[in-house]
Amino acid sequence: MPGGGHCPDCGSTELVEDSHYSQSQLVCSDCGCVVTEGVLTTTFSDEGNLREVTYSRSTGENDQVSRSQQRGLRRVRDLCRVLQLPSTFEDTAVAYYQQAYRHSGIRAARLQKKEVLVGCCVLITCRQHNWPLTMGTICTLLYADLDVFSGTYMQIVKLLGLDVPSLCLADLVKTYCSSFRLFQASPSVPATYVEDKEKMLSRTLQLVELADETWLVTGRHPLPVITAATFLAWQSLRPAHRLTCSLARFCKVANVELPCPAASRLQELLAVLLRMAEQLAWLRVLQLDKRSVVKHIGDLLQHRHTLVREAFREGPVGLEAGEEEPRGQCGGPGQGKEEVASGSCGLPVGKRPASPALLLPPCMLKPPKRACPPPPVSTVTGDENISDSEIEQYLRTPQEVKDFEKAQAARQDARSVSNPP
Amino acid sequence: TPITPATPASESSGIVPQLQNIVSTVNLGCKLDLKTIALRARNAEYNPKRFAAVIMRIREPRTTALIFSSGKMVCTGAKSEEQSRLAARKYARVVQKLGFPAKFLDFKIQNMVGSCDVKFPIRLEGLVLTHQQFSSYEPELFPGLIYRMIKPRIVLLIFVSGKVVLTGAKVRAEI
Repeated sequence: MPGGGHCPDCGSTELVEDSHYSQSQLVCSDCGCVVTEGVLTTTFSDEGNLREVTYSRSTGENDQVSRSQQRGLRRVRDLCRVLQLPSTFEDTAVAYYQQAYRHSGIRAARLQKKEVLVGCCVLITCRQHNWPLTMGTICTLLYADLDVFSGTYMQIVKLLGLDVPSLCLADLVKTYCSSFRLFQASPSVPATYVEDKEKMLSRTLQLVELADETWLVTGRHPLPVITAATFLAWQSLRPAHRLTCSLARFCKVANVELPCPAASRLQELLAVLLRMAEQLAWLRVLQLDKRSVVKHIGDLLQHRHTLVREAFREGPVGLEAGEEEPRGQCGGPGQGKEEVASGSCGLPVGKRPASPALLLPPCMLKPPKRACPPPPVSTVTGDENISDSEIEQYLRTPQEVKDFEKAQAARQDARSVSNPP
Repeated sequence: TPITPATPASESSGIVPQLQNIVSTVNLGCKLDLKTIALRARNAEYNPKRFAAVIMRIREPRTTALIFSSGKMVCTGAKSEEQSRLAARKYARVVQKLGFPAKFLDFKIQNMVGSCDVKFPIRLEGLVLTHQQFSSYEPELFPGLIYRMIKPRIVLLIFVSGKVVLTGAKVRAEI
């Protein structure tokens, strides 16, 4: 306390220096009377030396749990309850949110980002416990944009140095399939469409495993593949009554949203099944197409490991029929399966199964969109002489400058006419 | 431009990344009037409401430059370090001819982007398990796996088709 001063109001000597924003004040700590105060306005030269005090520093809000953080923590708990997660998840997610909040970048972030952060913490907790929750679900619940979610998610994983395991496909299949409203008859679900949950689940799982093995899952969003697999599983369990139902109608009846890529995944899965069918003699004679193959999905799945090996064989197929040189290079350590020229094989086509196709991701099977010629080798050193004429081609002539200015002025006039002040 | 491998490591795999983009910066050393530049140059774009710099392009080497009023410039689009330097010098010359005392200070390559193809499909789910401390694979967000290498400090985008994009290098040897 500065010596010699006492409050004119109550006579106390307990005077405190208290800076209220940019104004220094001497205040009595007993009655609150302002004894003296500094200059409120500053001179021009003074202002050059002043430093702006941020709101967060002057009010000491960083030292306690702010209202914004409290709201965020409440939202985390609410989200966990809505998703019916175990209570231990709630505590973990709350801990992550608090941890994130200690970083200044998060504290100062916009409300939209803080809202999305709630979803990120819950998602990370679920992933670490192998609870199958998709980002799409969280974004729907939070009314958030996936782009905003993605940025915040990547940032927070990096910031907190977390190890987030991948989404478990099998668990996702079980949760997602269970959400299809097809296991009980209702006014909207005809009797022929009702299916046993366990049968459908097991067949869907097998189809998803098949898709994974044949490169239809890697690099793609997991949900559309599962939608397509569920549809095929359902159709194949009672094909007589269900072949006429389209994928879109199926999703509508089951009360599940149809993700856009599901139709494309369906076609890819059917193509794989057709290739497998060609390896079975009794199916080859039936000349199956994408519709009729559905009736035989049960058989194909039963022997799927052998059939995939046969239909997409590694190494030269010509070794059976005769000597054949493998065209092109072999793939890397066991990861690629290459095709060999089958056209020049000695045996007639009808007598042997279709030549093994390339087991590659669909993006490698499609022809390249545009030819990419290798660029010519450049001999530029960076120190070449730059001719004046080359630079002058980039400069406007005086006439051009005048014309441009005239055009600009005319445009300005046109604007001011159409928008009268 | 294809790179001649400088270290034995790249020679052993036989795959040579192609440089696709070089980002460099240079200080022209004087304040610039962007309105004048936009008025008197044919290849300039200036929309102060959208972005506070002039966007200038030249045909050879095919590049784009962002020129700021502070005199700092960013040059992008070149396919080699030498081309980037030549392009930056050409932009500096244009600015000189427009009447500014432009110099060519502190030219620095900030980022190099390369791409290559290993020609076999890659099980990204497997890679993220074996290299989890460096990898980030979120198929719900992006089809590629993001691999953050520590030494050299490079980020690789690895796709299922075997195509790889490498970025974050400051020198050719890092890629």
